[in-house]
Amino acid sequence: MIEFDHVTRTYGSKVAVADLTLSIPRGELFALLGPNGAGKTTTIRMLVGLLHASQGAVRVCNHDVVRQPQDAHLHVGYVPDEPCLYDKLTGREFLWFIADMFGMPRHVATARIDREISHFELAEFADDLAESYSLGMKQRLVFAASLLHDPDVLVLDEPMVGLDPRSVRIVKDLLRARTREGMTVFMSTHTLAMAEEMADRVGIMVRGRLRFLGTVPELREQMALESTSLEQLYLELTAPGGVPDGDAAKEPGR
Amino acid sequence: MSAAAVRLLGPEAEARLFLRLRATVAWQTIRWMLVHARLRLGLVILLSAMFWGSLYGLFVEAFSFLDSLHADVVPLLFNAFFSSLMVMLVFSAGILVYGGLYCSPEARLLLTLPVRAETIVAHKFQEAMWFSCWGFVLLGSPMLVAYGTVRESGWPYFALMLPFMISFAVIPATIGTICCLGLVAWMPRLRVHALSLAVAAACITAVWLGWSMAGRGRVDALSAAWFEQTFARLSVTEHKLLPSWWLSTGLIETARAGRDWRAGLPAVVEGIKFLALLIANAMLLQLMMGWLARLAYRYGFSQLCGETPTRRRPLGWLDRMFTDAGTSAGRPLRLLLLKDLRIFRRDISQWSQFVIFFGLLGLYFLNLRSFNYNNAYASMIGFLNLAVVGLILSTFTTRFVYPMISMEGRRFWILGLLPVHRDQIVWSKFLFSFGGGLLPCCALVFLSDWMLGLGWRLIALHEICCVMLCMGLSGIAVGLGARMPELREASPAKISSGFGGTLSLVVSSLFIMLVVIVAALPTHLFLLSNNQWFSHALGGNRSTAQQVLAWAGGPQGSALSLAIVVCLGLLATFVPLRLGLRAFRHLEP
Repeated sequence: MIEFDHVTRTYGSKVAVADLTLSIPRGELFALLGPNGAGKTTTIRMLVGLLHASQGAVRVCNHDVVRQPQDAHLHVGYVPDEPCLYDKLTGREFLWFIADMFGMPRHVATARIDREISHFELAEFADDLAESYSLGMKQRLVFAASLLHDPDVLVLDEPMVGLDPRSVRIVKDLLRARTREGMTVFMSTHTLAMAEEMADRVGIMVRGRLRFLGTVPELREQMALESTSLEQLYLELTAPGGVPDGDAAKEPGR
Repeated sequence: MSAAAVRLLGPEAEARLFLRLRATVAWQTIRWMLVHARLRLGLVILLSAMFWGSLYGLFVEAFSFLDSLHADVVPLLFNAFFSSLMVMLVFSAGILVYGGLYCSPEARLLLTLPVRAETIVAHKFQEAMWFSCWGFVLLGSPMLVAYGTVRESGWPYFALMLPFMISFAVIPATIGTICCLGLVAWMPRLRVHALSLAVAAACITAVWLGWSMAGRGRVDALSAAWFEQTFARLSVTEHKLLPSWWLSTGLIETARAGRDWRAGLPAVVEGIKFLALLIANAMLLQLMMGWLARLAYRYGFSQLCGETPTRRRPLGWLDRMFTDAGTSAGRPLRLLLLKDLRIFRRDISQWSQFVIFFGLLGLYFLNLRSFNYNNAYASMIGFLNLAVVGLILSTFTTRFVYPMISMEGRRFWILGLLPVHRDQIVWSKFLFSFGGGLLPCCALVFLSDWMLGLGWRLIALHEICCVMLCMGLSGIAVGLGARMPELREASPAKISSGFGGTLSLVVSSLFIMLVVIVAALPTHLFLLSNNQWFSHALGGNRSTAQQVLAWAGGPQGSALSLAIVVCLGLLATFVPLRLGLRAFRHLEP
C-alpha cells in the first residue's frame, strides 16, 4: 500500500530524511516515532505529496505521489497536525466540498456525510461556521473529512492533539475497525502509549534515519530489555550516543 | 476504498466546484457582515461612494478643462495611467498569488486533495485578481465614466467599459502569476532578491519620470511648453505593443461613437477590435499560466519548503545598546519596546507598507515646488498635506497598533507571569506607536512646508500639530485596543477590521479633521479679512466683522487655536489611554 524506496530529502545542506526504505502492507497500522526534528513530519509530507523527495520515490497504491499526484491522492486521507478549514464554511459545507472533490455521487455523499457526522458526534455544531470551532472540534471535523471517501491509506500527523478523551476513544475504535476492513494507517505520534496499544509495527526515527522497524516485542527482544515499557525502549534508542544505527535498523517484522 | 464511489473530476467540474466554494464563502461573509459588522459595512459603502463621487466630479472638471485647451493630451494621460497601473498590477498580483499559493494553509489542504495543480493556481489567481483589481476599478471607473460623460458617448462605450477593464487587468495579473510560479520553482533562494530588484527598478523609473517631469523643467505647470515636455517624456507609454495602449485606444475609439451610436458604428467596431486583442492575449497568457502551473506549482511548493531560513542579527548591537541604556527601573519597558521593534523589523508586511505609503507621500511633497503656488494656496495645501500625513498614520495605527494589545492578550501566559506591571505593557505600545510615527511624520510635514515655501511660524505650527496628531492617534489606537481587546482572534487583520478597529479609525479621522480645521482657521480668517471681494460683500458690518476676523487671524487667535490643538491632542491621548489602562488592569484572559 505504502512504499518508500530509498527516499532522501535534504533542506539545503541538512539531511532531513536519509535513504528511507519502508513498505507498509494493506490493513496495517504503522506508528512512526522519534524525537522532535527526527524527520517524521518530512516523511509524512512526502507521503501526501506536499514535499518531493530529493532522491528515491514514494508510492501509494502503486501510484508515484510526485508523478501521479491526483491518482495517489484519490486513495489517501490526511489529518495534518494543524487542522485547516475554511472559516466561513460550516462543518457540513466543508464535508460536502471534500465529497465533491472526490467526485462522489450525491446519494453516496449524503449517506457518508451523515455517517461521519454521526461517528464523530458533529451533529451539534455541523451547521455552525468553522471559525467558531474549538481545536478539538476542528480536529474531529478534519478526521471526518479524511474518512469520507473510505481511503485505502490514512495518514495521521499527531492525530490526538486537541482531542478530548471521548474523541480519542472514538478515533481509536474507528482506526481498529477500519484497519480490520483493510485500510492502512500511517501515523506519526509522540504518544507512546497509543503506539504501543494500537500499532502493528512501529518505526523509530532519529536524525533522519530509521533506527528501528518492527513490533514492540521485537524491539524488546533486540534491545535485550524484556518487560520494559515502550517509553523506556524509546528513550534508550533515541538518547544521544544510544544504540548505533546499524544495530537496530533491521526489519525483523518483515 | 469503494472504487465506484470516488473518481477524479474533470477540469470543468473542478472549476465549478471552486466557483461554488467561492460563492458559499462570499455569501457567508456578507451574511456575517450584515449581522456583526453593519457599521463597518455601512462606512465602507458610504466612503467608497463618496470617494467615487468625488473622483468622478474631479475627472469631469479635468476632462472639460482638457477638452477646452489640450484635447490631444487625453490619450497620453490614459496611456500613462494604464501603463503605470499595469506595472503595479504585475507586482501586486504576483505578491498576492505568492501568499496564496505558497504560504496559506488552504494551499496545503488543496495540495493533499485529488485536484489539478492548475485548478489550484487558477483559484488563487482569481482571488489575487479580486484583491488587486478592486482598487483599479475604484480608481479607473470614475475616470472612464467621466470621460464618457464629457464626450457624450453612447451606451456601447459604457457597456464595454467593464469588459475592457477586466480583460486588461487579467494580462498583468497573469504575468505576475507566471513570474511568481517561475521564480519559486527555479530560483527559490533568489526570489526575494529578484523581487526587490524588480521593485527597486520600478521605483527608480517612477521617481526619475516624476522628477524629470516636475522638478527639472522649470516651466510653468500646465503651460504649452510643460505639456510638450511631458508628452516627450511619456511617449514610451504609447508603445503599440503595450496592453495599456490597446486599452486606451480601444476605449477612446469606442467613446467616439456619440449618443447616436449607429452613426458611430465604425468607431465601436474599431474599439471592439482592441477588446478582442486584449481578450485574445489574456486567454493566451492564461493558457501559458495553466501549463506552467501543471509543470511547476507542486515542484515549487516542495522547493520552497526546502528553504531553511537563515538566522541573521545585523542589528543586534543596536538592540543591546537600547536595552542597556537608561535606568534598571525602566528596563522592562525597554525590553517590551525592543520586542515590538524586532517584530516590526521582521514583519515585511508592516514595514513595507509603511515605506511605500510614506515614500509615495515624500515623492509627492518633493515635487510640490514645481507648481509655484501663491501664498493662499500654499498655506491651504500645507494644511491639507498635514491632514493627509495624519490620515495615513491613522490607517497604520488602526491596522498595526490597535490589534497589538489583543495579540498580547493571546500570549498573556508569557507576559502575565513576568515581573511586568500591566500598565507598562500598555505604555510600551503607546511609546512604540508614538516614537515610530513621530520622526517620519514630522519630517514629511517639514518637507511639504519647505517645498511650499511657507514661513517659519506656519512650519512650527504644523510641526506642533503633527506631534499632537502622532500622540493622539497613538493614544486612540492603544487605548481603544486595550479597552476592547479580542483575545480569541488570531489574525491582526481581522481584529483591526472588527467593530473596535472601525471605531478607532472613525475617531482617528474625526480627531485629525478637528485638529487641522482648528489649526487652519486663523490663517484662513486672516486671508479672508484681507480679501477685497469678501470685504465688499460684508457691506455695512464691514468694520466690526473685519475687526473680528483680524483678531481671529492675528497672534491672539493663533495662540488660542494652538492652545485648543494642544488640548485636543492631550484629550485624544489620555482619555482613551486611561480607559484602556483601567480595562487592561482587570482583563481576565
